[in-house]
Amino acid sequence: MRIETGQRRRRQLIGLTPLIDVVFILLIFFMLASSFSNWQSISLGVPGEGRAPAADSETLVVRVLADGSLEVDGDRIDSDALVSRFRVLFAEDPQRTVVVRPDDGVTLQRIVTVVEHLNEAGGNRITLSREAR
Amino acid sequence: MRMPEPERREQGEQIIPLINIVFLLLIFFMLAGTLSAPDPFDIDPPEARQGLSADEPQEGLLSISAAGGLAFEGDAIAMEVLADTVRTRLREDEMLRLTLKADAGVRATFLLDVMDALRNAGADSVLLLTSPES
Repeated sequence: MRIETGQRRRRQLIGLTPLIDVVFILLIFFMLASSFSNWQSISLGVPGEGRAPAADSETLVVRVLADGSLEVDGDRIDSDALVSRFRVLFAEDPQRTVVVRPDDGVTLQRIVTVVEHLNEAGGNRITLSREAR
Repeated sequence: MRMPEPERREQGEQIIPLINIVFLLLIFFMLAGTLSAPDPFDIDPPEARQGLSADEPQEGLLSISAAGGLAFEGDAIAMEVLADTVRTRLREDEMLRLTLKADAGVRATFLLDVMDALRNAGADSVLLLTSPES
């Protein structure tokens, strides 16, 4: 009787330690390898060479200047004015294409903010384009 | 002889709750986290208040670092061969949706160069990954 009980206990203890080792290794692997970043996405059109935005009167153009300010039809406006102005335009036709034209030195963060304002105003067809030369 | 036996039992009983907790943590990390290949460079994505929630895809992912480094599907790539590589990839899988994972500090002019290359490769729209405002 004594021998049997002793063997059972030893087997249990021997079996548990490698199990814990492996589980710990798996735990550490998943802790390091998994990412918890919460991604969102914005859809951007890639502008075609053929359909040059300037030729189309239906296309709205927003210039983003190097200092981060916005220019629509030659008027410098702030982001609140941009939203209210474009909300009226998108209420008429939500499928109008908006072209965002960033100057040199504008960072992606600024572009994303502008695109976000346009989305807020109701626009969903937004493309980036190079500054016309 | 009777004294050491209860000590062994205590050891065994203390280990089991530990395993339980470790197992719970393991299952939590397996389910809650998503495994993804690490980027070849640090990317601090632009912040946006709204946007459709998205998973970081493994396929068709183009990473752009603030310094102007490019990586397509995890492999660093030069600007000159980007269009050809993406075109080949788009021919293999016509349903492929290109996703841009770019640093918030990427210059607009560089981004437009990349967009030009993607247009030459035959893409008509891309998804830009952003992170929620913190």
